[in-house]
Amino acid sequence: MQSLTNLERMMKAISRQEPDTIPTFEIDIDERIMEAIKPGLSYEDFCEYMDLDAVCYHETRTDQYEVVDEAKKLVRDQWGAIKQYTGVSLSIPVTREVAIKSKKDLDTYTIPDPDRPGRFKRQEEAVKRFKGKKAIIATVRPFATIKDSLRGQDDLFKDMIRDPDMVDRLSQIVSDYYLRYTKNLIDVGVDIVMETADWAFTHGPMVAPKHTARFIIPGLKEIAQYCHSRGIPCLKHTDGNLWAIFDLIVETGVDGVHPIDPLAGMDLGEAKAKYGDKVCLMGNVDCGNLLSWGSKEEVREAVKDCIRKAGKGGGYICMSSNSIHGAVNPENYVEMVRAIREYGKYPLSLS
Amino acid sequence: MFDFAELVNSVVEGDVSRAAELTRKALDTQISAKEILDNGLLPAMDRIGNSFEGGEIFLPELLMAGDAMKASIELLRPELAKKGASYAGRYAIGTVQGDLHDIGKNIVILMLEGNGWDVVDLGTDVSPEQFCDVIKKSDFDILGLSALLTFTMPMMAETINNLKEAGLRNKVKVMIGGAPVTPSFADQIGADAYARDAVEAVALAKSLLNK
Repeated sequence: MQSLTNLERMMKAISRQEPDTIPTFEIDIDERIMEAIKPGLSYEDFCEYMDLDAVCYHETRTDQYEVVDEAKKLVRDQWGAIKQYTGVSLSIPVTREVAIKSKKDLDTYTIPDPDRPGRFKRQEEAVKRFKGKKAIIATVRPFATIKDSLRGQDDLFKDMIRDPDMVDRLSQIVSDYYLRYTKNLIDVGVDIVMETADWAFTHGPMVAPKHTARFIIPGLKEIAQYCHSRGIPCLKHTDGNLWAIFDLIVETGVDGVHPIDPLAGMDLGEAKAKYGDKVCLMGNVDCGNLLSWGSKEEVREAVKDCIRKAGKGGGYICMSSNSIHGAVNPENYVEMVRAIREYGKYPLSLS
Repeated sequence: MFDFAELVNSVVEGDVSRAAELTRKALDTQISAKEILDNGLLPAMDRIGNSFEGGEIFLPELLMAGDAMKASIELLRPELAKKGASYAGRYAIGTVQGDLHDIGKNIVILMLEGNGWDVVDLGTDVSPEQFCDVIKKSDFDILGLSALLTFTMPMMAETINNLKEAGLRNKVKVMIGGAPVTPSFADQIGADAYARDAVEAVALAKSLLNK
């Protein structure tokens, strides 16, 4: 097959066709790992250096924060939450205090402006550099915004039982915001939108399927429908064991599901058999233990295993089971990409 | 005659005010805190734990039940404190340095408290030195270390090493848990036990006390 551009390769895989070779990219790559592999490169330079098929722009990384306390590294996000930069991630701050502590806070709440000038600078630059070559992905996270910035996970989960109206009002706020935000992303020239809120953990879904269906699914469905109305694919990321809510996710109309988390007991072969005709599957190379502490040989074997399970017929993007975080062995990440390129060529040679 | 089944149900259903009301009623009728714990909260937490493990209930139901349980425990606390021996044991727990995830840790705390443990939550992003300091200053039977991120797991080893260096390792049993943690990792770093989930954590904590 004639060699495709990175963008064409991604789009073929997402539409569940066989590209020339199985694509690869990461939803996040820690600066320390990029620096260890090739010092001095920007994120964009690094994606080119590694010949990754997509660049991915996290909303939390492209967001602007107001400094609250420089010494303590405290900032306020646009939703009003106080966050702190810690050693956990050098570029994404973690929540210390949410914005909506009571219904009264909600009554007087002012929604941030998704049209704020300069909001999409990095995505605009990516469009100038990569449009038509690499897939440009931007993330959105309506449910995570309620959970992490507006209400806090414990209160949000309890509200689902004790005050569903509160959750409905919060959902409406983020829904209004994210539809306008998504429109802006697509207007700027982004190729793919990815919703990245975690809905599950190792054990299973965070909330009951009935609560997932009522409070979480509508936001994703709305975004997926809007993306499709603009001719753009929409992908879904969530860690954890998804079996109990996989049908619900697929029914939203999303085009791909990431990362089929092996540490949560998600088997890629089973996902391919059950959902491979409906969505593109993405991920499954264990970044928890394998990419951190495994040998290069084990990494190659894991990539081969993933390709065997999900590569046939297309509809698979081979990548890590979450992201290339700070503990990943840089050599193992390089080996993973090398193995994907070696064994991922169609027609597949692996039995 | 006090109806313990009613108290159990109020906790399982996450009915905070009803659980508190029934606990007060039980105390008023001279039922001891230990009896309320054993016949009310313990069976309730067993049911909640099993339902959670079995995928019948999820975090919202678990958190609501936790609130109901805490409302009851708060009322029992003065009497339990008077009779320290009523506690199953003392447990200090925290998420290791560099890691801010706390869902798993909080579920373990909930289950331990419901099973009669005196639990001190050290929070998230706790350094090896902070863990050591807590063990040095106070008597705990078990120290629980939680991690969700692969790259914070080495902090578990470092905490155990710090305990050794400070001569505190034999003072406390160490249990570890979290999504990327494995039994072999527990062996490798010299932890006393690895718990797969909160229900197992409670069972293991009990068995460690008897060792």
